[in-house]
Amino acid sequence: MQENLLETSILSLELLFSFDAELWDIIGVSFRVSMIAISIATLPAILIGFALAMVDFKGRWMVVALFNALMAVPTVVVGLTLYLLLSRSGPFGDLHLLFTQPAMIIGQVALAFPLLVCMSHSAFQSIDKRAWETARTLGANCCYAVITIMKEARFALLAAVLAGFGRIISEVGCSMMIGGNIMSYTRNIPTAIALETSKGMFAQGIALGLVLLILALLLNFTLASIRGKGQLV
Amino acid sequence: MGVELRANNLIKRYGARELFNIEELKVQEGDSLHLSGDNGVGKTTLMKILAGLDKPCSGEVAVTPNMKSKWSTRLHPKVVYLHQTPYIFSGTVAANLAYGLKLKGLANRQIKETVCHALAWARLEELADHSAHLLSGGEKQRLALARAWVLAPGLLFLDEPTANLDQQSVASVADLIDKMLEGGAAVMVSSHQKNPVTELCYRQLLLSEGQVTEFGHQREARYHA
Repeated sequence: MQENLLETSILSLELLFSFDAELWDIIGVSFRVSMIAISIATLPAILIGFALAMVDFKGRWMVVALFNALMAVPTVVVGLTLYLLLSRSGPFGDLHLLFTQPAMIIGQVALAFPLLVCMSHSAFQSIDKRAWETARTLGANCCYAVITIMKEARFALLAAVLAGFGRIISEVGCSMMIGGNIMSYTRNIPTAIALETSKGMFAQGIALGLVLLILALLLNFTLASIRGKGQLV
Repeated sequence: MGVELRANNLIKRYGARELFNIEELKVQEGDSLHLSGDNGVGKTTLMKILAGLDKPCSGEVAVTPNMKSKWSTRLHPKVVYLHQTPYIFSGTVAANLAYGLKLKGLANRQIKETVCHALAWARLEELADHSAHLLSGGEKQRLALARAWVLAPGLLFLDEPTANLDQQSVASVADLIDKMLEGGAAVMVSSHQKNPVTELCYRQLLLSEGQVTEFGHQREARYHA
């Protein structure tokens, strides 16, 4: 058993460093889909987080609670919901999005959005109100004042983006349900790991797992160094 | 260019509590006003309303000349408010000084020149490239004043500018404010204590029980238009 594990691990490393076409295809799909999804979700989520932190309106607490609750929704439930919407019998069936990369992107946007809103809301809440007033009194219009506040909160916002990216690139439930795990198209790292493991083919699974592990380490080290820079002096 | 402010029938309430009800308040070009009052009477709120950072529940504040364009969300470009503890943006001292100048659309060379002058004006030359967060309280206050000075304000609101400062810093700040008065700016200083900065002020206002009372002048006007 131990020898098999060792052999499998060595084989997985060989797959990785020999730039196995199939393996790197899967990695490419993963990064492409997740990068597009996080790019779409980031700005609107940050602006909503800003509004929730800075603008007093009736029912604000309900909106904040809603986003906090949405963060906790399991990925497979998000996948199921989108499946029902995008399937042929669903309201958006005519768009033929099911089992496509755009569908995966929609799913990952839905997963990342609440997290980005909640974390950016926290980031903006920690910014002194005087920052806004100082920007305004020195001549900034509302738009430029928002940009100024975003700059002041940049470390916390970057942490939110990295956390959101980390969540979506490693999720399997939603991607499996609405992506369909089609090779060279919708098979990403987590769905490939699930498939290969179910087939008893561990080498590729371990190789892809290593990629996710390295990515997780990179994201966390980056987050840690950002938090260090963002500390109060 | 001189700036004049007129506030009429200003009322500010928080829930059922009426903070103040001010019939009329005028600030003319070159005025220097000391707004005194106990803690919590509404000095900061009043100054923020006059500076456009807060809205009254009713009443109006008019600043002439009106330099705001109709659709702009900018506040009046000649009115600047300074917090009791100024907020310093992350970045260098020079970057903080350049903040308002960049918004005016000036050329980089002009911004650099003005920042140099401001550093000399506030005696912060040696700290230009330092992180602004590392400045002492007095240095931050001078930086905030210089950040306002570069915009050539016609009307400057200073909220307790000498709170938490040592005597030397207070004297430095008073010197800078004196220079701004010399330059023709109108200044309103709020403080519940007398200090070298309030000594510069010609008009004495007291905010008490929701009303502003002017109780005379402490000395001859130095810079009145």
